[in-house]
Amino acid sequence: MAACSSNSNMRREEQTEEKKKAREKSAKKRSKEEGDEGDEGEEIFSFKDKAAVDEEEDDDLSDSEDSVYSGLEDSGSDSDDEDDDDKDDNEEEEEEEDGSGNEDEEEDLKTETQQTGQTEQKKTTTMKKKKEGKEVTEEEKVNEYEHDSSDEEDIRNTVGNIPMEWYKDFPHIGYNLDGKKIYKPIRNKDELDEFLDKMENPEYWKTIHDKQTGRDIVLSDEQVDLVNRLQRGQFGDVNFNEYEPTVEFFTSDVMIHPVTNRPADKRSFIPSLIEKEKVSKMVHAIKMGWIKPRRVEDDSKGRYYDLWTGEDSSLVAKHKMHLPAPKIPLPSHQESYNPPPEYLFTDEERALWDQQDPSDRKLPFVPRKFSSLRQVPAFPRFIHERFERCLDLYLCPRQRKMRVNVNPEDLIPKLPKPKDLQPFPTTQSLVYRGHTGLIRSISVSPSGQWLASGSDDGSVRIWEVCSSRCMKTVQVGGAVKSISWNPNPAVCLLAVAVESVVLILSPSLGDKQVISATERLLSGQQEAETTEGEGPVSWIETEGEELNQGIHLKIQHAKAVQQVAWHAKGDYLASVMPDHSSHLQVLIHQLSRRRSQNPFRKNKGLVQCVSFHPIRPYFFVATQRCIRIYNLVKQEMTKKLQANSKWISSMDVHSSGDHVICGSYDCRLGWFDLDLSTKPYKMLRHHKKAVRGVAYHRSYPLFASASDDGSVIICHGTVYNDLLQNPLIVPVKVLKGHEITHDLGVLDVTFHPTQPWVFSSGADATVRLFT
Amino acid sequence: MSQLQARFFTENKRYIVDDVPFSIPGGSEVQDLTNCLNKLFFFKIDFFDFLVRGQFLRTALSTHMETEGISTEEVVEIEYVERITAPEPEECMMHDDWISAVHADAEWILTGSYDKTARIWSVEGKPVMTVAGHTEVVKDVTWVKRDGLTSLLLTASLDQTVLLWEWNSERNKVKARHCCRGHTGSVDTVSTDPTGTKFCSGSWDKMLKIWSAVPTDEADEVEEPGDRPRKKQKTQQLGLTRTPLMTLSGHNEAVSSVLWCDSEEVCSASWDHTIRVWDIETGVMKTTLTGSKVFNCISYSPLCRRLASGSTDRHIRLWDPRTKDGSLVLLSLTSHTGWVTAVKWAPLHEHQLVSGSLDNLVKLWDTRSCKAPLYDVAAHEDKVFCVDWTENGLMLSGGADNKLYTYRYSACQTDAGA
Repeated sequence: MAACSSNSNMRREEQTEEKKKAREKSAKKRSKEEGDEGDEGEEIFSFKDKAAVDEEEDDDLSDSEDSVYSGLEDSGSDSDDEDDDDKDDNEEEEEEEDGSGNEDEEEDLKTETQQTGQTEQKKTTTMKKKKEGKEVTEEEKVNEYEHDSSDEEDIRNTVGNIPMEWYKDFPHIGYNLDGKKIYKPIRNKDELDEFLDKMENPEYWKTIHDKQTGRDIVLSDEQVDLVNRLQRGQFGDVNFNEYEPTVEFFTSDVMIHPVTNRPADKRSFIPSLIEKEKVSKMVHAIKMGWIKPRRVEDDSKGRYYDLWTGEDSSLVAKHKMHLPAPKIPLPSHQESYNPPPEYLFTDEERALWDQQDPSDRKLPFVPRKFSSLRQVPAFPRFIHERFERCLDLYLCPRQRKMRVNVNPEDLIPKLPKPKDLQPFPTTQSLVYRGHTGLIRSISVSPSGQWLASGSDDGSVRIWEVCSSRCMKTVQVGGAVKSISWNPNPAVCLLAVAVESVVLILSPSLGDKQVISATERLLSGQQEAETTEGEGPVSWIETEGEELNQGIHLKIQHAKAVQQVAWHAKGDYLASVMPDHSSHLQVLIHQLSRRRSQNPFRKNKGLVQCVSFHPIRPYFFVATQRCIRIYNLVKQEMTKKLQANSKWISSMDVHSSGDHVICGSYDCRLGWFDLDLSTKPYKMLRHHKKAVRGVAYHRSYPLFASASDDGSVIICHGTVYNDLLQNPLIVPVKVLKGHEITHDLGVLDVTFHPTQPWVFSSGADATVRLFT
Repeated sequence: MSQLQARFFTENKRYIVDDVPFSIPGGSEVQDLTNCLNKLFFFKIDFFDFLVRGQFLRTALSTHMETEGISTEEVVEIEYVERITAPEPEECMMHDDWISAVHADAEWILTGSYDKTARIWSVEGKPVMTVAGHTEVVKDVTWVKRDGLTSLLLTASLDQTVLLWEWNSERNKVKARHCCRGHTGSVDTVSTDPTGTKFCSGSWDKMLKIWSAVPTDEADEVEEPGDRPRKKQKTQQLGLTRTPLMTLSGHNEAVSSVLWCDSEEVCSASWDHTIRVWDIETGVMKTTLTGSKVFNCISYSPLCRRLASGSTDRHIRLWDPRTKDGSLVLLSLTSHTGWVTAVKWAPLHEHQLVSGSLDNLVKLWDTRSCKAPLYDVAAHEDKVFCVDWTENGLMLSGGADNKLYTYRYSACQTDAGA
């Protein structure tokens, strides 16, 4: 009952409301506003109202029976009330009629009110019927139901307790007691309306939507107050005192007389035989082993359980890096109660100790001597010391240092041993002596039988490779800057750059048919020669002594020619005239048609050397800092290699055409992988002085560099066919032999075409063969 | 030093001692052993050399046995032979230019020179004849046949021809009989077969060609390219044109040296690092011996049936040309410091060979002493290009100092004694 008190309170509240309404109905001089308010209240708590009405109806029914027997009479004032009530009801009805007429939109409301009106009408009619005799009883009935706590539903809508979404698609929302449809409000509020409402309607916050009827109900202040009280956990009734004094039923004092005077049962002091039997059965069962007695928990280990057993292993793993605290050093002689006298402080030491800052002291205490252990007092600094220890442990972070153990051996790249990379030239075999000036350029015939060298003494010499025999000497009348053997094996030709002339020289060595073919080629184009306008160069036929020496053609350039380079087919010849200011630095000559052309329109820098691609129509031009690769067919630049060096001196193209090495005056040798990057794949800095010449071997994976430090360095450079594998570059041999003359060492280097042999020419006027 | 049990023996009947083991000190060297023998003979001879298991004794006996892995427990068999005496220089024949080739027989010496001529000298060193005709450097020369006073000789030249000459020693007239055309490169080597009827030439053009060495009076037909000027050809013609009987191709690089193993077999060395043995009957290659370096020269000794090769890596290697399965180096003789340009087996001694090198030295080797040569002959002042022996005790070498040296060597005492 007490538990339900709040509930009943609530009900009571409601009922007071109902009572209020009933009073309204009975119209005890209420103002119009109040009536309005009551109207609203009716709307809000419609189901209560309904219930009340229902009850009234029920009452009416019961009334009709009860009233007969009750025989209770009411005062006349009541009947007056009733009359008033009726009148009021009628008024109300009228009003509502009016309201419905005014507010067409709220049809539902109208029907509702109509309905209530009807019921009220009915009620009034019944009441009118009973009015004559039983007016008083009616009044009492109403009062009786004021306390009724029945929890009835709102039955204005008869659909029952169902999800109202079921009616979502219908125009109505249910059926009233008469089975007529209760229609939804015509216009539903959409989000915008809702929002506007929220913003503009000051009563929005106390408006609730009744799903059952589909109407919005605005709570009255009392109702809001009630809700607030309930939310606060207070009683709904303001007047309810929850702290009423208790009325004790029994006293706490022991009285002399018991509450009951019944004597105690016999069984309360005689042991129970039934229980005894049960116990003996169980004992027997235990003895027989049918029942196992409950195992006694072993307490020997202590009833403490390991808090961390079920711990996640990852958590444990986190603490793997745990470092044990460093141990305190064991007490030494100084800590002894009876230390050897040398540990005891002298006066000076003591004075010093006193003066020192505690952090500077060598010892945190003063060694003291006691005659016996018994006399040692308690250690005064014990707490202090422990605290400091704790601070040490806590404030000094300990961490494990991960020392990276790098084996210095591992840092050295894994390169094959040079002896596994045989063959490569290792020793000096032959020295070609005869020149009197420094030899700037050498070239080997495509067959590998002859070697041509051009020197500053104004001569070109042709040597037999295998015997170092000078087979021919041609005086060209000027320092030979560059010499190049025609790579076409069907002709035997040399291009020699002397000052501003390029000489085409037939050494008349080797196969007679080749020689005659060469001569036919050189003399044959006399007819084919077309007289062009004044070109950049002039082709001059030689006669007399020069012709006897083998010089067939002279290509007169405007400026000094630094380099000549043949195309792989042997018909085209490129010559280089380095010049800062002119675009006329490189010329390409066609031997068979005796034509020359300047492939470049712009000056892109001082051209150092040029080279033809061995297979494709590409042309490599090395300027001071970079190498440009031109496509001769499309006449455009395809690539620009950054040499990463200050001044390129020489360049060579691999026989596959995909790799370029270039030497520079700043002691470097750069290897470019054209498929890889425009930056050098590898820079080798083995030379001490300027690199003068570089060369690839045509078939062996070798390349060589010649330098002013008098050495030739042979490197192994395997090129792989698959693009994934980078070239393997291993320096294999330093070849020394040339003497350094006038700060110049080795000036040119070239490989034998078929053997792993390298020729080098130096400033000491010799050519050397290393095998 | 411990004592060793040794037993001396020899095949030379003049110096036989009793077959009794002696106890000799382990540290004894050649001189000690010689003294030991002298005590047995009761007279003094000091030209013995000692062989332990076929190797010359060059150090103390015990160390020698240690390095050779011979047990010191047993009785050591020590063979003693007369020491090969140092070759004595005899003559020096000056040429006008580098000497590229030399071939000597019992009476005459034939040399080829870079002055485009070949020369005939008597063994005493007198110039007899200058054979001029080539337009380029003569690279190789060889005697073909001697028929009384008439000799046939061959000169191979850089001008791509081999000339077959007939030389009458009495009238001292030389006549070019045939001009062997066909090579398209410098002919570097030429060699006649043992019967003197055929010869083989090797050239820079990678070909070997077999020619007939019999002089005839009619020229072979040569199909000339039509556009070649005919008058030029006329002037060049020297002797009747001869075409090769057979061309053997297979080398990938220049052929540096050819020789006949016997009348059916030609052996060629090349710059492509191979030695190939060819069957002349069928013209096919029989065996390939693969080395690792360029071969400059080969020589074959019918006495020991070994091939000696000199290559650019300074080693002289001995091969067995009859091995079918690839290349097997029997022995390496290493002492030269330059390319070995010439190597020649002794005609009468199965163990001796001579080699010439670019390091200006001629070395006399005994295969029983492979660690070091018997003698270094340091006569030349420049590169040595050619060496030769004669059967009558003459050794020759020529080189880039234009000098042809002859040396008298002790003519094979072992054979003489046997």
